[in-house]
Amino acid sequence: MAGAETSSVTIKVEFSGGLELLFSNQRSHTLTLPAAVPTDNATTVPVPSTIEATKPADITYLIHYLRDHLLQERAELFEENGTVRPGILVLINDTDWELEGEGDYVVKEGDEVVFISTLHGG
Amino acid sequence: MSTSCGNPETEQDALMTRRTKFDKTKTCVKCKESRGNIVIRHAVYCKSCFFPLISTRFRKTLGPTINNKRGNKGANARGGRIKGLMQAPGSLVIGHSGGLGSTVLLDLVAKSYFYRSSTLSGQLPEDSLSLGSEHPRNRARGEGDSGDVWKGTPAVCYVEVASVIPGAKERTEEVRAAVKAYSDPTTGFEIDFIPLRLEDAFDEGWWKTIGGTDLKQGARDLGIDINDEALPTLRQGSNIPTTPLQSLHTYLSSLPTPTAIHSAISSLIRVLLLFTAASRDASHLLLGTSLTSLSMNMISGIAQGAGFAMVSEGLEEAWIGKNDQNISIVRPLRDIGIKESAFWAWWSNLPVPGRDRYPSSVSSVPLGSETAASRVAVKQNQKLTSIDVLTQDFIMGLEKDFPSTVSTIARTLAKVTTKEKGVSGGCVVCQKPAQPDVQAWKASISIRSYHDEAFVKSKHPLPPHFTSPPDAGVSAASSPTNGLAPRLCYSCHTTFTSRSSRGIASANEVVVPLPVWVKASLPRSSEDTTVPESKDLQTGSNEDVAQAELWETKKLSRGSIKDKIGAFLLDDAGDE
Ligand SMILES: [Zn+2]
Ligand SMILES: [Zn+2]
Repeated sequence: MAGAETSSVTIKVEFSGGLELLFSNQRSHTLTLPAAVPTDNATTVPVPSTIEATKPADITYLIHYLRDHLLQERAELFEENGTVRPGILVLINDTDWELEGEGDYVVKEGDEVVFISTLHGG
Repeated sequence: MSTSCGNPETEQDALMTRRTKFDKTKTCVKCKESRGNIVIRHAVYCKSCFFPLISTRFRKTLGPTINNKRGNKGANARGGRIKGLMQAPGSLVIGHSGGLGSTVLLDLVAKSYFYRSSTLSGQLPEDSLSLGSEHPRNRARGEGDSGDVWKGTPAVCYVEVASVIPGAKERTEEVRAAVKAYSDPTTGFEIDFIPLRLEDAFDEGWWKTIGGTDLKQGARDLGIDINDEALPTLRQGSNIPTTPLQSLHTYLSSLPTPTAIHSAISSLIRVLLLFTAASRDASHLLLGTSLTSLSMNMISGIAQGAGFAMVSEGLEEAWIGKNDQNISIVRPLRDIGIKESAFWAWWSNLPVPGRDRYPSSVSSVPLGSETAASRVAVKQNQKLTSIDVLTQDFIMGLEKDFPSTVSTIARTLAKVTTKEKGVSGGCVVCQKPAQPDVQAWKASISIRSYHDEAFVKSKHPLPPHFTSPPDAGVSAASSPTNGLAPRLCYSCHTTFTSRSSRGIASANEVVVPLPVWVKASLPRSSEDTTVPESKDLQTGSNEDVAQAELWETKKLSRGSIKDKIGAFLLDDAGDE
């Protein structure tokens, strides 16, 4: 297939604050996501060729992907209503995702995304 | 969307419309140069401005409390130390929960006031300006030196709660390692680590190690009957718990509601820390309660009727022990949200040992010895939700969408509590301020039974499903001076006695064991060896009661409480 280099994005994902326990107790993961994904965030891999409505892979898609493919247990502690559960912070390349458009941020090759749970703070 | 009239801004507020996450630009509001890395309540900061911002907020809270007896002369305007002037009257104890707040608190204290370990300095932000003159990086330090500010060796105290949480892992060693990371072999600087367990609250051995007064023979096997609102003290019968762990499990499993169990655990931990601090002649006990947790505590505190205690939670509390020993309980992170704490820990590469949620139910049998069936029962009970758990979910959701509101709650609390500085302990269980005669107070503010005087006087009709007042039960008959009730705060009294339709079946026949400090404060009988088995023992004469009063209580009128609540409702602390 032509254009294989642009048809996927490889990123690094890290979990902290206890979230890693939901992901095989592994803090750091390297993921390859399709560059274009269904707008409804369905995470079937590979993306079926019949899908017409696509968008570039963004953080919202990543959250769905992590929930569907990497999460081992208790999805409700990670995802809620299509985004991260309140109390989970997200950093994109060392920056608060609130400055990067949150779920709408389009992931780029080599990005580092960190999920930190603050649910057991104090 | 079109609104025909009215002030759009006001309407937006009223509807709590979600604001954009940050104001105007992505450039740091402080240096106005760098691209921002974090949004803190709508304000954007870059990473290098973030560290001094947080450490200044921390020292602004802690600094002025350090030599409070001689005024605030030791601290400069930014909470930093004016050389040679900052001198605490006692030693320092930090309460560590294993959680994020405690981890960041320890880091901030160490970096601001102690020697920096060479193993950590690699990750330190360049913050020399804000660290100011108190920063000891270039000064030689002697052994056991807590930065010249506090006397003696600083200590971190961790209370292990794994024994009451099914499936929880012990974290004592992880916290020990986190503390050890701050020691410096080149100077010999070390922080003492004091590992406790929740069951120590029922351990006479622990009580002795911290110099507690001897338990009188008669007090040793006393417990309370929580089916009677007066909470009479009784001899524990034949099935006396034989170990502190069993006592702890009996104590917690006897409590009537999930919320009660949750608050009882927090309360036991707090008192374990207080007595530990007292045993080290501490002038300061620091807790890692963040602004976010403070808001949670406040909301759940209100929901549990902990009015008096709530007041003490915000700013600083002073706890006056025996011999006028004065310990300030300070929460130096009370202006720092959980988000900022998480970024601090992440960017400083701090390992967070972690903590488990306190359980909402506890098996009456210590973990490990339970049967498969009882384990299932425990699992099912955990679905019962305590007010604290609900509050956490609520506040976390609020913080995500309306971060300023969470801060306003905590700031309002701080405002309310400013008026109440230095209230000393009163309740024999939690050591918090208590209003005198909790039963009378409760009776005057609420209707708990259709036999209550307040209800009868009100001449309200009975609900339709009653043709005559239902049985009042034992409570109405009890005299308020007979038992432990008059010496408890509202919150602790409620912890023992509140009933809930979803309540865990209370162990009816069990006399509930008491924490060691409660036993130690029970009036002494004239002859220890011949303690009568009747209730008269505990009542004693008024003189006995007065003598046994270990802690001074400041009385507040109901009027002053009303004022405080008024301040809560009307004022908005919007100054960010
Ligand atoms: Zn800056
Ligand atoms: Zn109390």
